[in-house]
Amino acid sequence: MMPHIFFWLLQDFLSVLTGSFPMPEIFLLSLVYSLLTEGRENNVIVIWTAFLGGLAWDLRWVGFTGFFTISYTAVVLLVIWAWSALPVSGRTTSIIFFLFWGAQLIPSVLFFLTLERDAGTTFFVMQQGCAVPLSLLSTLLCYKRINSNN
Amino acid sequence: MWGKRMTLEWVNGVAALALGLLLLGASPRFPFLKNTVDFMGQVLSVPEYPIVMLREFCRSFYFWSLDRNKLRLSLETLQNENSRLQIVNSVLLSEQIKAELASRTTEARVTLREPLGWWSEFRMDKGLNDDIVMGLPVFQDGFLVGRVSSVSSFSSWVELLTSSSLMIPVVVEETRELGVVVGDGDGSVFLVYIPEGRGIAPGMKVSTALVSELLPPGIPVGHIERETSVSENGYVTYKIKTGASLSSLYTVSVFKYSKEMTR
Repeated sequence: MMPHIFFWLLQDFLSVLTGSFPMPEIFLLSLVYSLLTEGRENNVIVIWTAFLGGLAWDLRWVGFTGFFTISYTAVVLLVIWAWSALPVSGRTTSIIFFLFWGAQLIPSVLFFLTLERDAGTTFFVMQQGCAVPLSLLSTLLCYKRINSNN
Repeated sequence: MWGKRMTLEWVNGVAALALGLLLLGASPRFPFLKNTVDFMGQVLSVPEYPIVMLREFCRSFYFWSLDRNKLRLSLETLQNENSRLQIVNSVLLSEQIKAELASRTTEARVTLREPLGWWSEFRMDKGLNDDIVMGLPVFQDGFLVGRVSSVSSFSSWVELLTSSSLMIPVVVEETRELGVVVGDGDGSVFLVYIPEGRGIAPGMKVSTALVSELLPPGIPVGHIERETSVSENGYVTYKIKTGASLSSLYTVSVFKYSKEMTR
């Protein structure tokens, strides 16, 4: 739980620092990292952490509740479903990358749909510009962790 | 056991989603959420305070850099403008001095020019009785010829620009570069002590610089003909084409001494 709070605050601080520049979903990356590297017994905690983190983000940055609450929870559920559906032999680096990147993509796409076309496109491109390298880095760390666990 | 855990995950997940949807639907209808948003902002303002300060510092620094850049450009423009105005001012001043000095000149005839000292000196028919003193400049058609080197009552000797012992500080009018004009004793005149790369080009005018009361600044000497050599320590020598025709001197103009000149 504590690392997730740290990453939530980090994402918040970076958003404060950069103003209108769209930040990648660092908090969500930390949740997905937990889902992929820790045991299934923590999944329920991660689901409610996503819920609370999304709710806090809505209250801090959106002004009404529900938007990121649902996005984050849905992403976590999708990752749980995808990860449990895959056989151990199918859990390759590229799949891990797509899970991290997908986790970044879903809230971005939902937010993109709520904005005007030009502003939404700019926001989406800038956020993905940061999100893809971060997803790659997370994949690398996750892959190393899974290998060391095995 | 596996199925039970999975069911638990999905029950919690669906419950969280349902709660999220409920919040999304209820959000516009419950004004107390606005207070919650404000409260959240207040709570987070404490840990965010250093970040806000950092952001303000970065912003201030950015605008300060912009302003500084703008000021630097303005300063450069003003400096260039100032340099141009200084040149114009100097030219105007030398023109004014030239006009004043022209009113104080007297004509003199060349009475002796010895073949052995052809490029060094000549004698003229004006002396102490005509208010001629040592060091006064001598001209031909407004251009400097040389300086009075010795005086007697009715005549005086003039050392020519081509003399190797006469050195006259000058200025290149277009660049305001200072140098010294010196002869070689063989009919040529050179501009020396000019550092390399000062943009001096053939055709630029050379006139006297302010060095003594008897030799006022702004007296035309001639113009740059060509570059002749560069010394090891980076100083360039230029050949000067004198404005006066030093090989055919019959009459010259000379300043009459006045007390104002020593002021």
